[in-house]
Amino acid sequence: MVKCFLEQKVLKLGLILCLCISVSACTTPHTERFAYTAPEEISDPLETVNRAVFGFNNVVDIIVLEPVAKVYHVIIPRPVRNSIQNFMRNLRTPLYIANNTLQGDFKGAGTGLARFAINSTIGIGGLFDIAKKQGLEFEKEDFGQTLALWGVNNGFYIVLPILGPSSLRDASGLAVDIYADPVRLYASNTDEDWIYYTRNIIEGVDTRERLLETVSDLRENSLDYYAAVRSIYAQRRSSLIQDNVSNSHYYIIPDYDEEDDY
Amino acid sequence: MSTLPEKTWAIGLFLAFMIIPIISSAEDIKSSDGSVAEVFIQNLGDKALSSLTGNNISDQERNKRLRDLLNDNFSMGTIGRFAMGKHWRSASDKQKEEYLSLFEDLIVDTYSQRFREYSGQKFIVKGHQEISKKDTVIHSEILPPEGSADDAPSIKIDWRVRFKKDEYRVVDISVEGVSMIVTQRSDFDAVIQRGGGKVEALLASLRDRNNGEEPKEL
Repeated sequence: MVKCFLEQKVLKLGLILCLCISVSACTTPHTERFAYTAPEEISDPLETVNRAVFGFNNVVDIIVLEPVAKVYHVIIPRPVRNSIQNFMRNLRTPLYIANNTLQGDFKGAGTGLARFAINSTIGIGGLFDIAKKQGLEFEKEDFGQTLALWGVNNGFYIVLPILGPSSLRDASGLAVDIYADPVRLYASNTDEDWIYYTRNIIEGVDTRERLLETVSDLRENSLDYYAAVRSIYAQRRSSLIQDNVSNSHYYIIPDYDEEDDY
Repeated sequence: MSTLPEKTWAIGLFLAFMIIPIISSAEDIKSSDGSVAEVFIQNLGDKALSSLTGNNISDQERNKRLRDLLNDNFSMGTIGRFAMGKHWRSASDKQKEEYLSLFEDLIVDTYSQRFREYSGQKFIVKGHQEISKKDTVIHSEILPPEGSADDAPSIKIDWRVRFKKDEYRVVDISVEGVSMIVTQRSDFDAVIQRGGGKVEALLASLRDRNNGEEPKEL
């Protein structure tokens, strides 16, 4: 019961956040919506709190997540891991189709639909990504991206406990995605909540396994790990969102021989 | 055509032969020949994978080869300076010099490790996009070694090359939409800001990092 109550609260909060930023989006001048000249720039007024949460996440990662992901990496062979990922992605595909539709990207929605149909049947419930071999590439479309295409700015950077880097916009999007998640709906309607939690845990471990090298590289080679992750988050999101925009923007790298006073 | 005197033809032909080389050399100088840039990157990628990967060379040798490759094909000055962003102007000449050298060491060390873990990968150029008068982005992919699971992921890498003084040089590398120099600039900026806005804070942090010490938590 407590769990349920908490869930309701989180969802309500998410919806309120959503409303807030939708309103603020309407007041944003249209021209500023896609100014990506400085992709790493995301405002971070909560930096002190964010750094604390980031530190906490990092400890949890080092003690629990990373070791679990390493064990997973060693005991589960790659083809099986790939099938697990395919299966998880297939479960989320209806959500991505919905987001594509909301974004007005009907071609993307069609691709998603075809992927879901092919992989759920010939791909044996999503275990094999047959559609990819037919040129139907997987594309993640979350509600944060949808909001971005509707003109909502990042807002500011937020580090969520355990879930990691996010922004006001993307965290609100996440709340909506969680609410609309077919697996969650199915699990709660049938009173089989364990399905939902098991899915989340497996998905989490699988994602972490794929990031093993990237994260240890970054930990080792960045001077300020927090700042590097924040920048990468902002860039990665901007690149995912730009996939939907025909002309991508490139930042300016000055020619220092010519403009000496940059 | 027979109405034209033979002389006119001769002059015409002569002029044509004079002009063709001028036009074609003008094309050579033009910065926007993306296919030449593609060849440049394909060669660079092949060379990197063939000379830097695997366990059959010592780390020292690998570092040396990588350093040469960087200095021959990358615009290290531009990259280093961009990474320092607005703080470049507040650095003294001596600090700038030390920074550029520390920065190069950091890059060599970082990528040397990465290449050591590589073996059997294939590098293919997928196309290009001209983004300004001087800059072209080359899209490429690193494919997993043959024989590994056929849906092992490939890595998308974009190379931003700049044509200047008759040669191409790399000014940035992006992996899956994440730019190396943009990330480095944010990283360095945070170090300097948290060190009270002093460039020395960045130099100290780079020195520690290159000496294999854990970066101090500020």
